[in-house]
Order: sequence, then structure tokens, then C-alpha cells
Amino acid sequence: MPDLPDEQSPDTELARKTSELERKTAELQVLQRVSSQINSTLDLDEIYDIALRTMDDLFEFHHAVILLLEPDGETLRVVASRGYENQAIGGRVKVGTGVIGVVAQRRKMLHVSNLGQQRAYAAAQRRQMIKAGRSDELTDTAPVPGLQNAESQIAIPLLIRNELIGVFSIESPLQRTFSEHRRGLFLIVANQIASAINNARLYEERRRAAEALRAANTSLEARVAERTAALEKELRVAEALLSDARSRVDGPLLGESAAVTGLRQAVAVQAARKEPLLLVGPPGAGKEAVAHAVHGASGRRGAFIFVSCPELHTQIRQLSVETPTAARSAPQLLTHKLELASGGTLFLDAVHELPTGLQTALQELSANDLDVRVIASTTRDLAHDSLGRPDTGLRFFAEHLSVPALVDRREDLPILVDHFIRRQARQLGKVVESVSSESMERLQRYTWPGNIRELRSVLERAVLVSRSTVIEVDEELIDEGLAIGSYRLTTRLGSGGMGEVWLGKHRLLARPAAIKLIRPDVQPGVAHEQLVRRFQREAQVTAGLRSPHTVQLYDFGVNETGSFYYVMELLEGLDLHQIVTRFGPQPSERVAWLLRQACRSLAEAHEHSLVHRDIKPANLFVTSLGLEYDYLKVLDFGIVKDQPGHETTMLTAQGVVQGTPAFMAPELVSGERVDGRADLYSLACSAYWALTGRPLFQATTPGQMLLHHVQTTPLPPSQVSELPVPAAFEAVLMTCLEKDPARRPSTALELEQQLARVAFKQPWTEDRARVWWETHVPTGLHDYRSR
Amino acid sequence: MSAVTMRLPAEIRPVLDNGIPAVMVTCSADGKPNVTVISQVYHVDDTHVALSFQFFSKTIRNVRENPRAYVCVADVAGHAQWNLELEFQRSETEGPVFDAMEMQIEAIASATGMSGIFKLRAADIYHVLSVERLTYPEWTGS
Repeated sequence: MPDLPDEQSPDTELARKTSELERKTAELQVLQRVSSQINSTLDLDEIYDIALRTMDDLFEFHHAVILLLEPDGETLRVVASRGYENQAIGGRVKVGTGVIGVVAQRRKMLHVSNLGQQRAYAAAQRRQMIKAGRSDELTDTAPVPGLQNAESQIAIPLLIRNELIGVFSIESPLQRTFSEHRRGLFLIVANQIASAINNARLYEERRRAAEALRAANTSLEARVAERTAALEKELRVAEALLSDARSRVDGPLLGESAAVTGLRQAVAVQAARKEPLLLVGPPGAGKEAVAHAVHGASGRRGAFIFVSCPELHTQIRQLSVETPTAARSAPQLLTHKLELASGGTLFLDAVHELPTGLQTALQELSANDLDVRVIASTTRDLAHDSLGRPDTGLRFFAEHLSVPALVDRREDLPILVDHFIRRQARQLGKVVESVSSESMERLQRYTWPGNIRELRSVLERAVLVSRSTVIEVDEELIDEGLAIGSYRLTTRLGSGGMGEVWLGKHRLLARPAAIKLIRPDVQPGVAHEQLVRRFQREAQVTAGLRSPHTVQLYDFGVNETGSFYYVMELLEGLDLHQIVTRFGPQPSERVAWLLRQACRSLAEAHEHSLVHRDIKPANLFVTSLGLEYDYLKVLDFGIVKDQPGHETTMLTAQGVVQGTPAFMAPELVSGERVDGRADLYSLACSAYWALTGRPLFQATTPGQMLLHHVQTTPLPPSQVSELPVPAAFEAVLMTCLEKDPARRPSTALELEQQLARVAFKQPWTEDRARVWWETHVPTGLHDYRSR
Repeated sequence: MSAVTMRLPAEIRPVLDNGIPAVMVTCSADGKPNVTVISQVYHVDDTHVALSFQFFSKTIRNVRENPRAYVCVADVAGHAQWNLELEFQRSETEGPVFDAMEMQIEAIASATGMSGIFKLRAADIYHVLSVERLTYPEWTGS
């Protein structure tokens, strides 16, 4: 559209007005079109194109450029151009430089119609200055995008709410004039461009933000879903733990038996006290529940902090391996737990596993002002431990409370059974009424070595598989819970410091057996793997003994709780300790009869370089073999020791005096070299006990007893016994009791032969033995060995 | 042919904007004339124009001594010449007229490495005493 001259046309007034009207109409159409088009798109390239085409339509300017302000606020960048050979896209203009730069800086439109002349004028001035030696006042010329020979240029800032977003510029190589009217048109178009660009950029920003938000949402949703799943899982675990904790808390204290009634009373008494409390009881009996009950009844508002001492021990051991200095910071672990339990209760489970250093630290820490009730649990029989292995840690506990085994509170079974089946049914959404009478009888007969924990486990499985409201507890369910190797435990025969002895039955052969469980904690401080290795060697050696007077070993292993077990032939009868305890001192001929059998067992063991080390009346078991009565079996090679050069066996800890003080050879006490003659000394001590009903020495402490073995000459048994002791027999025994092993019989076989040569007025015979058993144990040899 | 008016007619506006170099005549107090070429005659209103004061020159000195001046602007498209009789009134160093003129000069100076040197010192405002339009028939071929 040509720019009409403003001067008066020679044409008629009508023609002039008509022409002007047409021009304005055309301009309005262009403006309407550009307004419509530019607002119908949010595509920046399209907006640029519309803007540039409009300049062409309105002013026939073919050289136009759009620049946008860069984020740095100091540079403009060409984003669209029209009419240039080099499209100049990407070209940059510094704010404040050239027409475009100055427009951006001043935010005002600029129209220059004599660019060439002004440039020439400036160039001339520049040359003059150079000629006058003022070059140092000049700066470099700054090339700007656009026509190099432009004569006229109009540039307008693109503003949004007075904020600069860019510059729109058109150029011409001709000197052309923009009237005020046309500058106004240009301004209108530029404002529309600015608005459209801004809208498009906002839209783009919003679109990107929306995309980012969508991506974030997707990620967030995934994380939320993941977290929700994790929380749900944690919740389920927490519910299970809570339920389990509740059952552990409730169950053990339910019942009306004297044992549990006494336990509840003791809990009430203990709740009012502050002294460290030690709970003693078999595994699974509910010691933790009792601790909870004491804590709950105490009114202490602090937390109940549970600490597993075996885990703590392992943790410290691992730390020590990784960082040798970490062991020194082990007490800090305990301090941390104590602080957590401030105002509450610290419960140390299996406290006998607590490392010695921490036991001392515990005592020191507890002596501070921390308001913490320390309660601990142990499965140890303290009476036994006090003889063989003084445990300074356990002395810290001023208060002791026994938690009874389930077998000792059988009358509580119906209440406990009802409690556990209903609790499990609630969890599973089942309805139960009771267990069948047959099942209840089965449960009543069973001995529950795993105590309440085992009962709960069996009942939970029974409810789980039950399809009736009346729960059946199959024998298999109980079997499964008590399986050890190929054997099923049925009755606990007894328990002692090192473990328990159970009556078991082979699952397939139905052969009865005695199963001895030895807890791994009998040797604190010794790695479990090391114990297992020793145990295996010990068991293999024992299994290799063939003497009929050595108890026969069927099987051995380690069960899932970490306890070692031996499966031995089941012996019916009494050990020498029980015989003397029940029936008094025994005649010399019977003692000699039994000793000779023990010698045959030991002779074979000694030939295999094995020393029993714990020969005592309780390990000399008197049984029947077929029709033979008073058949002696040597038991418990549990602390058997190899001769020098062999590995120390399982139950002999390094540096710990092993054996039973009353029957211990002097060389064992003093730690000298030990051989089979130590067993002969112990055997003579056992004979002394059998003959007199008294130990070789009288002592009030184990230490005194040991000292006597080393220093004191024993009284001959004939001076102590109520029964006559033949001199020849006594002489043999006294040589066995020599302090110096060299003065004893050199072998068990030699001793056996010496005993064989002793003449008794009334020799012991099988008939006498049979009569004795029929007289004293008329119900048969069903008094199983127990320790 | 010529026509004299006291005001700037509308048709002179594009001529001024086109920026064809104009001739300016001044005279010192002692009557010595000076002729120079100027690049810009800025239209202020119907009775005023502004001329740029960039350098201390003979023209500036003359005007400060003798406010009368003549400016001849060629209208190539209209085949005419405009003679403006002017009288210096004041120098402006701020305001819209100064800003508009300064901005244009700075645009050129900044692109030619002359910022701070090639700059507008003041916008000299002149009152238009008379405007004469001369036409040249030979230009039109008549």
C-alpha cells in the first residue's frame, strides 16, 4: 500500500477524500485481520509470521525483524525476520546500542529517516577525531543485524505492563517518511504483537509447568502408591507384632494354677520395686510377658525398651571385626538404650549373652541417676551355674523371679488354649468354639518343651487349617513343633545347667531315645560356628566308641534354635548319685562291680586319647541290659578332652576350669597336663561317694573343694563309711586318689585288673543285683535318667 | 513563485522528517555571515522548530550573539524549497524535544563507536518568524 503524499493533491476534493477513505478502509481491514489472526494462535512462529506479513501489507516494508529480550536483560535476540538475504535469526543486539538497542533501553519508539546521512555524519566526525589524535576516546563500532544501507528505520519496543519483552523494527534502503498516522498504526500492530507473544509465552510456560506438574504428579502418585503400600505393609507387620505382643503379654499370665497365681502376686510385688530384676525360666515360658506385666503395673510412664543380648553381642562382634576400636564404644550402645528407657524399663533378653564388659558397664551405668528399671531374662539354672561358671553379670540382679514351665502349670492349659484359639480366630476372621475333647487330651498329655510359645504356635496352625468351629489338634501338628532331626520329643526327663534331656522317639523306627539338648549359651564368648565345629568333633569321637559300657550315640546335630542335641540310647535305671541319695552308701563289692565296668568304658576312650574329665556318680548310670542287672554305662562325654595335640572339645572353654569340683583331679585344677589318670582319680572320688555317701572333701565353696584336691590328703573311706570297706579295695582306691598321677594306676585297664583281684567276703553277683532292683525299684526301671 | 506565511504549514512536516540536509545561515554580531549544512530540523509545533547543538561551532557562537537565522529545506519530491526565518529562543537540555532528538543521535553514536562524543548537548528552540515556499518550474519541466 503506497504511502500517499501528504501535500495537497491537484485532484478534486472528492477524489482526494475518496482515496483517503479507501486507504483508511484498507488499513482498518488489515488491522482487523491481524487482530483476528494473531489472537487465534498461540504458536510463536505463526505470530511472528503474521506480524511480519502485516508490515508488508500496511507499509510495503519488506525488511522487518522481531527481537526478544534475553533472560540476562542486556541482550536482544532476533527471533524472526523478513526480507533479509541472511535471515539474521539468532543475531544479537546489545541493549543501548544502535536504533534497536536504544529503543530497548529507552522503551520508546524511534523513527530515523535519514540513517545514511547520520551515519555518514558520524563517520566523518570519527575520521576527524582520528586525524586529531583522539582515537583513544573512540570505541569499536558495533555491527547490528539488518540492512547495511538502510536509510530509514522505525523501531518500537514491545511492552507488557511497561516491561520490555522485545523490539519490533522495520527498515528501508529508501528515505521514507512515516506520518504520525502511520506511526500510530505501527504502534497498534506492535502492541498486538507484544500481547500475542506474551500470551504465547505464558501459555508455553504454563504448558511446560503443567507438563512438569503432570510428570511430578505421576512421580508423586507412584511414590505415594509405593509409600502407601509400604505403610500398609508396615501396618500389617505392626498389627501382627502388636497382636503377637498382646498374646505374649496376656497368655503367660492367664490361668488359675498355683504357679501362675504366685507369679501374678510376684509381679505385683516386683512392680513396686526398683532393684534390677532377673527373670529365670525355660525358653518360651513368657519371661518377656512377665517383664511387660511388671512394667505395666509399675506405673512407670517411660518406654519399655527391649534389647536382645545375643543380637547386641553379635552387633558388637561385627563392629569389632570391622573397626577394632569400636569395641571400646560398645558401652555407648548400652548407654543409648538406657537413655531410651529413661523413666521406663530396660528389658535385657537372654542377659547371659551380654558380653562381660557390658555387664560391668551395665552395673556402672545403673548406678548413675538414670531412672530406669532394669529387668533381664535368662534360661540359666543359676544354681548350676554358680558351681561351674561364676557369672558376675547375673549377680547384679538383686531380685530373682522364676517363670514356670508350662508343664508345671498344666491345669492352666484349658484357659490358655481357649485364649489362643479365640485370638487367632479373630485375626483370621473365623468363628471357633473350642478344641475337641480328644485334642484337649492330647494337649494335656504333651510335655510342651517349647512352653507357651510352642502352645501358641501349635494352636495358631490348628486354627489356620481348621474348617470347623471345633478345633482339632492333630498329633502331626505337635510332632512338627517338636521335631529334632529324625526324632520327636515327647517327654522332658530333666533339665540342668547345660540343657535338658528329653525322651524322644524315632519317627520311622519308633525307637525310643534320650535326647540331650545343650544350649549354645553355655559357653558365652565363643562363636557359634566354633561351638558347632567342636560339637561335631566331640560327637564324632564319642560315636566312635564301641564299649558296651559307654552310652551309645545315635545321632547329633544343631536344631533351628541353635541348640546342640545328642540322640543317645534310652537307658532305664538310676545313676550312682541317685542310688546313693535314695538308698544310702553302697557295699564295697557292688561299688567295685560298677567301677570295673566303668574302667572298661574308660579304657577304650583313653586308648583313643580321650579323657572324659567329668567322671562323677551322676555320669555313671546303672541300668539293665537284657537280663543283666547293674549294668553300668558311662554317660556324658560332653566335656571329653583329647590328649595334647588335639583340639579342645566342645564344652571346654579356653581358660575355664571344667568338671565338677567334688570329683576333680588335682592336675585338672592346677591346669597341668591331663591324661586318662585324671579320670581314674575322679572314678575313685565317685567310689568314695558311693561307699560313704559323702564327697572326698568337705568344703563350702567350689574353690575350697578344688584346693583340697590339690593339697589335702583324704581320709580313707573305711574311716568315714558306715559300711565295711575291705583294706585291699581301699588301697586300690587310695592309690587312685594320689595327687601325683604317676602314683596312680597307669591305665583304666590296670585299675580294672587290680579291682578284679580284690577278694570280697560276699562278692556282688547278678542275682544280688536282680534282687536289689526288684526290692528297691519294684515298678521297674522306668525312672529315667535326669540331670 | 513564492508564498510567505507566519506558521509552518502541514505539508512541510514530511519534508522536515525526511531529513534532507538543510542549509543554515547565521550572522555574527559584527555582521559576518556563516553558512553550514545541518542534518536535522525537528518539528516542534506550528511556530517552532528545534536544531541540534552538538558541537561548539561558528554557528552556535553566531546564534548566541545574533539570534536571527535562516534555514533552507529542500523538498525533492515536491520540487520546492522552504526558507524559514528563525529566531533563537532557548536551549533545552531535557524534555520531550530534547529526548526525541537525543535518542536519535545516541542510536547513531552507539553503533559507530561515538557514544559520549557524538551526542546532543542541547536542543536549540527557534521561533519561526516566516515561512516561504519557493517553487521551481524548471524542476517540474514546465
